[in-house]
Amino acid sequence: MQNLTVALALPRQAFPFIPTGLPITVWEFREESILAKDTDADARSTLLSRALADCAAGNQAGVDAILESEGRQLLGVAQRILARRDLAEEALQDAMLQVWRKAKQFNASSGSARGWIYAILRNRCLNILRGDKRLSTLAPADLATLQESRQQIVPEEGWEILAGPSRIRDCLGGLDSQSRHAILLAHVAGYSHAEISTRQDVPLGTIKSLIRRGLQALKECLS
Amino acid sequence: MTDLSAEIIALSDEYVLGLLTPTEAALVEEIMARDIELAQRVGDLRDRLLPLDLSAAPVDLPEGFGVQVAEQLANKDQLPKMQFAGVPTEKPANQPAAPKPWLAGMLAASLAGIAVGFGVAWMQPAPAPKVVAVLMDAQGVPQAVVDDYGNDTATVRFVADVPVPADRSLQVWTLPSADMGPTSLGVLTGAGAAQLSFDDLPDPSAEQLYEVTLEPLGGSPTGRPTGPIIGKGFAAEQT
Repeated sequence: MQNLTVALALPRQAFPFIPTGLPITVWEFREESILAKDTDADARSTLLSRALADCAAGNQAGVDAILESEGRQLLGVAQRILARRDLAEEALQDAMLQVWRKAKQFNASSGSARGWIYAILRNRCLNILRGDKRLSTLAPADLATLQESRQQIVPEEGWEILAGPSRIRDCLGGLDSQSRHAILLAHVAGYSHAEISTRQDVPLGTIKSLIRRGLQALKECLS
Repeated sequence: MTDLSAEIIALSDEYVLGLLTPTEAALVEEIMARDIELAQRVGDLRDRLLPLDLSAAPVDLPEGFGVQVAEQLANKDQLPKMQFAGVPTEKPANQPAAPKPWLAGMLAASLAGIAVGFGVAWMQPAPAPKVVAVLMDAQGVPQAVVDDYGNDTATVRFVADVPVPADRSLQVWTLPSADMGPTSLGVLTGAGAAQLSFDDLPDPSAEQLYEVTLEPLGGSPTGRPTGPIIGKGFAAEQT
C-alpha cells in the first residue's frame, strides 16, 4: 500500500513524458497489479501455458486466449517502446505470428509463459527500431516526433512508477542512479548501448561495463 | 551441463535487456537451445524484470484485431518451415560461401571477448586467438566456432547440436591459400569442444575460410572435403 501512495503522490509535473492529450491509465494499472495476487498469477500462468500448448498443436484458440488475456498489456508495451500506434499494432501482430510459430520451443522449466511472450514482443519492437528498414518508411517529421517521444519514456525522476509495487523496484532503488537509468532505458525504452551512451554522454565502453555491473548487483538483490 | 563462463552469462543478461546485436542474440539462442542452465537463467531474469513491462499503460486492441491476426496466421502458415538448425545440409563441400559471409565476420568480431574461457578449462591460462571464425549452416545459424591461435594450434567448439552418425566423423578444414587448397585441421568423432594441432600451416589471416564437414569414419579418404558442410565461415582478426 505504501508503494501505491508514493506513486500517486508524485506531482503531475514529475511525469512530463505523459502527453497531455492521451488518457492516463496509470490508475487502472495500479488497481490491477495490486489485485494480482498469487492465485490470480497462478491462474494466468496456467491459462498462458495452455494457450501456448494450443498454439504448438496448431490450434488458433491459443492465439485468441493470449490476446484476450494479455493483448491490451502487450499493445501497451509496444506503444510505449515504439511511441506510435500503427507501429505498435504491427509489432504485436508480428509477435503473435512468432508466438504461433515458436510455441513448440517454449519450455516451462525455463521461465514463465508470460515472460516468454513479452520477450518475443519486445524483440519484435527492437527489430522495428533497429534491425529492419521499417523506420525509414516514415516521413522525417514523423521520425523526429517518434524519437522525441522515446526520449521521454524513462524520466530522470519518478522512475519508480516504471517498476510498480514489486521487488524489482526495491532492488533498482539500491543501484546508483546512472546504472539504474541505463538499465531502464534499455529494458523499458528499448535503447541500444550506443543510444544510452549518447543520452548519458558517457563513452560506450563505460556504459557497457556500467550496465554489466548494475545487472550483476540487480540479480544478486533479486535472488 | 556446461560450465558457463562469466562472459556468456553476462551476454545472456544483456540478451534479456535487448542490448545484443542480432548476431550475438542468435548465438545466445543457440547456446540456450542446448544448455538448459543458460535457458533457465534467461527465463529467470525475464520473469524478474516482467513488472517493468506490466507498468506500461494498457492500450485497447483495435476492433477486429484478433481476426486480422488469425488471417495472417492462416496465410503465413503456408510458408515452408525453417530447416532445423542441427540438420546437416546436403550441399557439396566445394560450393561457394554461406549466404551471409559478412554475418559470420561480424559475429566473430563481436565474439572477441567470448573466445576465451568458454567452459574449456584446459585452455587456462587462455592465450588470445589470432582469428575467430563462426561457422554457420546454409540458413546462417551458427554451428561451431573455431579459434585459431597460429603456431599450428586451434580449438573448435560447437554451439548447436550436430548429429554425427556412428559411421561418420566430423572434419575441420581451412583454406590457407588458393594454392594450398583446403587443408585438414583435424578429425573429430563427435560435436564436442576439441583442441586441434596440425603441421606447418602459415599463421591464419583475416577472411581465411574455415569449415566443418561430415566425412567417412576416420576422415576424408581423399585429403579434401567430400561430405556435406556442417558449417562454414570466414575468420575475423582479433586485435
